[in-house]
Amino acid sequence: MSFKRLDPEDFLVSADSLTAPAWSNYSASLTAATMVTHASQTGGPSGQYYTNVYNLIESNPNAEAQFAIAYGDLKGSGSFLYNSSIPGLSPSRTVYGQFVNLLLGEDEGASLNFGGPAANDQTFIALVINRARYKQAIKPGSFQLQLSAFAPFITDNSLITPTVDYTNAGRRYTLGSGSFGDGRPFGAQGVFGYLYPDVGVILLNPSAVGSTPTRPFNNTANDATNFEGRITRFFLQSEETVTSDFVFCRARNAEFNYSINPSFSVSASAGSILYNDFIQNPVTYITSVGMYNDNNELLAVAKLSKPLKKDFTKEALIRVKLDF
Amino acid sequence: MGYLNNSIVTVDAILTRKGRELLARNDGSFRITQFALADDEIDYTMWDPDNPLGSTFYGAAIDNMPLLEAFPDETQAMKYLLTTLPRGTSKLPILDVGYQVISLYQGASIAITPQTLNYLGGTQTYESSGYVATIGDVRLLSNFNGVGINTAQATALNSTTTLGAAVSKTVVGTTINMTATTTNALFPEGITQLSTSLIVIGRDSGARIVIPVQLNKNTNC
Repeated sequence: MSFKRLDPEDFLVSADSLTAPAWSNYSASLTAATMVTHASQTGGPSGQYYTNVYNLIESNPNAEAQFAIAYGDLKGSGSFLYNSSIPGLSPSRTVYGQFVNLLLGEDEGASLNFGGPAANDQTFIALVINRARYKQAIKPGSFQLQLSAFAPFITDNSLITPTVDYTNAGRRYTLGSGSFGDGRPFGAQGVFGYLYPDVGVILLNPSAVGSTPTRPFNNTANDATNFEGRITRFFLQSEETVTSDFVFCRARNAEFNYSINPSFSVSASAGSILYNDFIQNPVTYITSVGMYNDNNELLAVAKLSKPLKKDFTKEALIRVKLDF
Repeated sequence: MGYLNNSIVTVDAILTRKGRELLARNDGSFRITQFALADDEIDYTMWDPDNPLGSTFYGAAIDNMPLLEAFPDETQAMKYLLTTLPRGTSKLPILDVGYQVISLYQGASIAITPQTLNYLGGTQTYESSGYVATIGDVRLLSNFNGVGINTAQATALNSTTTLGAAVSKTVVGTTINMTATTTNALFPEGITQLSTSLIVIGRDSGARIVIPVQLNKNTNC
């Protein structure tokens, strides 16, 4: 017998949370020197809506988008109108409605609320983290943003808040002044913004972080690209839950002590065992573990890093981990 | 392909091509229910029962050898299964399918009834659980099924085929039926013979045999 059935207790499903720096090559932070925009993107059709920030220059084939910056405006200022005869409808207005819909679950007539002067609720800067960078979620408490000409460090309040707000876009943490999760209220312009870790979005209140937009109409103020130039350091970590399926394969002392390996016999066609000693005291070496379904189809295979000796005096327990 | 770091004992697991195919099929066929152990890469002729340092060193040439990473091709992994036999067994089970090579012309059929030699005291036995037969490239056959094992799983297995690229197909039975395809499109210009392999494994004994399969083009068509 070569195939051994697994019992229910031989399986274990375990979910483990993994966190790591979000940026490419596991860089702990992006700095002004390691953030670039690509002219082909900012000058292209998508550049009307957002600015992608990369880790390497455009000519480098290894360049990867790290995050995007989008500017939203309830009145549609800061970008060209789609049609000059229809006021207020522009890419910045589209971006505003898009995020209101995503984050508040409202139609585009609703507005955000940063808790300061009402005029501040009409604009925002969204940092949209590339999905491959934040994996399943942004790790709360890992976000810290440093801007030029703005002394406070911007971070979330996950370490100090007693409760977590649950919104249409999942968890929401308020941004304030501090470092790594202890963001506290600062100034009279309302909160710095919000962190939505489950959708990889950081929404900033421009007026509270020293980026009050000039809001020209039917003109590109390039607020997103301008904001990229203000970032001096950006810390972020990703968070993901990896579900692992552990399979425990047990070889009892009397099992798996012979082999159909052609070198185990004198002649593959006759089947006589290679050494007389092996007739009473066979020795085999386990190098591979195969996982099969009921039809003996090989679904997964595991290789040991070194051969594992097996004979009638030994039992083996091999733990195979399958990640999904 | 590379070597595994053997300074510590680790287990490096991957899904096979077949595993990915069944996972994509999403019909419950990707369900691990059993395991097998194999000793691929081990050359037992390096076992040295005459080592003057004693029995502890008989396996010195094997004990610390580096091993290659797992192959995703299910027909290339788990080649030599370890098997459970009564202590004192002097002859290992061997499969006999009656052919050294299977050579078929387009549209031709063949039925294979494997037998196991040297198993459980019998010189020639048909294993009660049947045989697993895997064809490396199912495109070469218009019919490939097993008969004689009437479990629900075996019936479902024998009636399912994944279409598309060169994928393997596995069936279970005591007799394996094969019919060569009549499709000419598989033959590149100027090529009149295609090859693959048939792997047959005894479900009880673990004995395994690999038979080359040749598909010959009917050039008079």
